[in-house]
Amino acid sequence: MARLPYIEPEDADPITKQVYEDAEARFEMVLNIFKITGNAPEIAQKMWQIYFDILQEGPRLSWIDKELLILKSTKMGDCLYCVTQHEVVSARLGVSAEKQADIVGVEYRQSPHYSAAEVAILDLCAHVVLDPEQIPREVWRRVKEHYDDGQIVEIVATIGAYLQVSKFGDAMGVELEPVWHGHEPVLFDVEPPTSAASKQHLEHFLAQAPSA
Amino acid sequence: MAATALIDTPTDDIQETYRAAEEYFGHVPNFVKALGTNPAFCASITGFVIEALGEGRVSWAFKELVILKTLRATGAHYSYGAHERLAVELGNSPERIGDLNNSIWEDSPRFSDAERAVFALIEQIAVDANDVGDDIWDDLHAHWDAGQLLELNAVITTFLNVGRMFDTLGVCDPQLFARPVG
Repeated sequence: MARLPYIEPEDADPITKQVYEDAEARFEMVLNIFKITGNAPEIAQKMWQIYFDILQEGPRLSWIDKELLILKSTKMGDCLYCVTQHEVVSARLGVSAEKQADIVGVEYRQSPHYSAAEVAILDLCAHVVLDPEQIPREVWRRVKEHYDDGQIVEIVATIGAYLQVSKFGDAMGVELEPVWHGHEPVLFDVEPPTSAASKQHLEHFLAQAPSA
Repeated sequence: MAATALIDTPTDDIQETYRAAEEYFGHVPNFVKALGTNPAFCASITGFVIEALGEGRVSWAFKELVILKTLRATGAHYSYGAHERLAVELGNSPERIGDLNNSIWEDSPRFSDAERAVFALIEQIAVDANDVGDDIWDDLHAHWDAGQLLELNAVITTFLNVGRMFDTLGVCDPQLFARPVG
């Protein structure tokens, strides 16, 4: 249950309406995570620009690389909302279910679906989520073998932004929209959520009838 | 040495971001320079950090305590000293800042019930954002309106991001503002 009201487009102020129009143009619908930020339009406008920048090709990093980082970072935080949506986005970009499944834990390191460059940034991602103070030099060495500074900024910004938005939405109880009901989880099928609360969220989601 | 180069001299496509940062902070902070090799991300992240730092639906003085508690709760080091300085400049006593530590805030007479409700939210988000229960939300709704709660949650999660991002990149900003803000 959402802890703050969703501001529907017909009730939104002009700034929020513009944010919703931009979101709908990019994502084909106004997601609940956007509707909840209608409670403070001046914040919504600046906040969502970062995500508009991430969810596209480039400017320096491939969209697929960014989707892998999103799946890895949000799965580590048991964010059902983000993982569900980005399993679908990743699939649309050509990331197979087998490749998605291997992102859990450290399976990707041995997986035939992952390149050395992808393994390097997923290792970096895991360290960023757990504790940036513990990033070993060999991880930086492997990342820098494959990516330049502008790309590294985009890698770290993508991980940080999705840590942010996943906690932002989960703390406020933002719910998956009915359009996702019926989606068969990939990552959570490999490794169930860890906390009791996130297990309950998954069970509730799986009990919903598929959207017509 | 930072993980990526600090860009002191902006290229044409990033001059406007540097100008906006200099106008707001009184200089170009190192976090902006650390993002300088990626103009699009430098612009959007700088813009959102500026939005978070200032008077809003919640006073800037309290937002600085929220930032400090968030950095502590999430084990982040980036800019902690700079935000202590900002918190004092905006009217918080060193005792109030000290009382943010560990569980001291729970019994401290220096905080209101409204402020304590927010610190409880921060600690729970740091542990498991999926499990922010009715007790925490009931306390929050008793003291803050929806717009304020949205802003507070945005500040908390923004600085969760900022701490992770700039600790990862090895950025040092001992002073964010080159001018007094109080």
